[in-house]
Amino acid sequence: MHPRPWILFWFFVICCHLYLDYSLYRRWKGWIRGMKTGFAMSRLKMPVVRIWLYEVFLQRQLFSLSVMRWLIHQCIFWGFISLTFLSLTKFILLLLSRISLDAGLHDFFSWGAGYPFTKLWGDFFGLILFAGCAGALARRFVLRPVETAHDQTDTFLTVYLLLMTLSGFMLESLRMALSPSDLDNYAFIGGIFMPARFGIVAGLGTWHAVTWIFHAFSGAAILAYLPHSKLLHSLLAPLVIALNAAEEEGRKDMYWPKTKQYRPIR
Amino acid sequence: MEMEACARCGECLAWCPVYAQDPRESICSRGKLGSLKRIVTSGLNGEDMKEFLEGLYECSACGQCHIVCPVRINTHELWEQARESLVKAGISQPEEQIKHLTAIRECNNSFAKPQTERGLWAETAWRAGLLKEPVRLWKEYQAPVLYFAGCTASFDPAMQAVAVQSARLLQEAGVDFSILGPDEPCCASKLRRMGDPGFADAAQQRADLFLRSGIGRIIVSCAGCFKGLHSDYAGILPASLEVLHLTEYLDRLIREGNLTPTRNVSMKVTYHDPCHLGRHNQIYREPRNILHAIPGLSLIEMRRHGPFSLCCGMGGGLKLAKPEIQKKMSAARIRQAEETGAEAIVTPCQTCQMGLMTGTEATSSGLKVYHITEMLIRSVCPEADRAHIEKAFTEIETG
Ligand code: SF4
Ligand code: SF4
Repeated sequence: MHPRPWILFWFFVICCHLYLDYSLYRRWKGWIRGMKTGFAMSRLKMPVVRIWLYEVFLQRQLFSLSVMRWLIHQCIFWGFISLTFLSLTKFILLLLSRISLDAGLHDFFSWGAGYPFTKLWGDFFGLILFAGCAGALARRFVLRPVETAHDQTDTFLTVYLLLMTLSGFMLESLRMALSPSDLDNYAFIGGIFMPARFGIVAGLGTWHAVTWIFHAFSGAAILAYLPHSKLLHSLLAPLVIALNAAEEEGRKDMYWPKTKQYRPIR
Repeated sequence: MEMEACARCGECLAWCPVYAQDPRESICSRGKLGSLKRIVTSGLNGEDMKEFLEGLYECSACGQCHIVCPVRINTHELWEQARESLVKAGISQPEEQIKHLTAIRECNNSFAKPQTERGLWAETAWRAGLLKEPVRLWKEYQAPVLYFAGCTASFDPAMQAVAVQSARLLQEAGVDFSILGPDEPCCASKLRRMGDPGFADAAQQRADLFLRSGIGRIIVSCAGCFKGLHSDYAGILPASLEVLHLTEYLDRLIREGNLTPTRNVSMKVTYHDPCHLGRHNQIYREPRNILHAIPGLSLIEMRRHGPFSLCCGMGGGLKLAKPEIQKKMSAARIRQAEETGAEAIVTPCQTCQMGLMTGTEATSSGLKVYHITEMLIRSVCPEADRAHIEKAFTEIETG
């Protein structure tokens, strides 16, 4: 394997992170200026929590409108969240291992008995995210429902996530080709992208380095892109739902089994 | 924060009653939110600003987009807030809205009529024999209940029947009530709807008046006034002051056995939920209970009802800013009502009633448009139905 530009990468990650923090801080200052009321913890009652959980994690309202849209959104939501969780966990364990505070978990998940679990998790949620992005693009360009936003940045984001997922699979397959292991079978998607299948037999190290650079840097760049993209709604929607769920606790029109039936444009 | 939480899913677009008549991105919530965000971050150029302002005022603030938004963004409140902020920044409302708001500010009613004429409907109705007893003024008699007629039912000759019938029904139920008459203020909710920065002060003045007068319960027969007194004044009025919509109160009176609809009204009707009563205040059941209590009357629901009720276009100052759009919206609602095969469309709001009548005219529909009091009056005391009231009022006016 070729050496990878780790120092440059970490520098890039820190810059992107700082930019994200700064953007969110600036926005936060604007948001609290516009907020009529704070979120009183006293309003955090069980029905409110339930509404929030249903809406944020299960997206019940979307389900009542369209099962297909719900499925696409769930795939992107859970795929993205789970892969982010995996990357973050790996990163934190790596840092902890440097100061011997990871209780051996870094090695356990990186090449020990926990490795298959990491591979299954990554491949499964990668597949889910890939399917969600592909579904969203198909809906946008093939089905073209009337409510589709003609905002090119939304298309860009979907393609971006799709390419990141693909590059993740390719990276995994190149790593497997360069240093095979008995546990590679757990990477059930990575196996599909084995370079030999595409006639790539030479220069695997270079391929690996280039794919790594693309995957790692585009992953970090998401941090900087987040405040300017539709991804911001993944942070804000749960907050707005929480604020309104508390506000609307007394309302009885939160959910309507017949929503779809009334929808004027189908 | 809500501006940036939009997922651009377009659900609001699919449901917006104005977009259905004028399909432009700037009309729907997604478009408006996008522009608002740009105003805050980078600013809008002249053309885009013009488009945004058109969208902002070509909106009945019906709240349908809020109901269907998966993120549950408080859209209609944002529009009202945006209107107010723009006015404060020197970008005023459309000309017709300004005239209307000026009338409210200067005359304390949206009809720009002398306040002395406000309670005349009660006197005329008593002289015409439409009431069981004269309606007393609050300043002479502080009854346990105050009936708040609102500007439209007080001043508009075509809608005064609503005030008369409401008073008569309260009398039939033995309710001890009085009215403010010439002292009744405009609820000022239209100031809020159209973004007038004077709303907060106006609301405080009215709340002070109610408190000074020692009023304990207010019954309102207009959905717009109800939204004003009940929701817009929330936090200003003390919890001890109960504000009820007439339908809530009549439903209660019927259930308690104080008011009994006895006569058969054999009609098939459909019910139109006013946005301010339904979506904004979740009063869906009570008006329907009243209709179900009338013998012989059968209620058939329209395709869109309850939280999905299609707006007739009378709210948010839309009728003033874009009357042609309001006409198309009410025509669409009338066509939905016709689909049910009903003979009449019933609503508990005089403003919606006027709006729907625009629709029957536009579609040359034979469908009748009634206020809910008309249905109940026909069953309780038909001698005070709309036809009798209009005849009696005309006779008195012509001497
Ligand atoms: S429904 Fe809500 S989240 Fe979806 S586009 Fe409209 S405002 Fe945005
Ligand atoms: S409040 Fe009603 S009219 Fe205005 S944008 Fe929303 S759905 Fe459309």
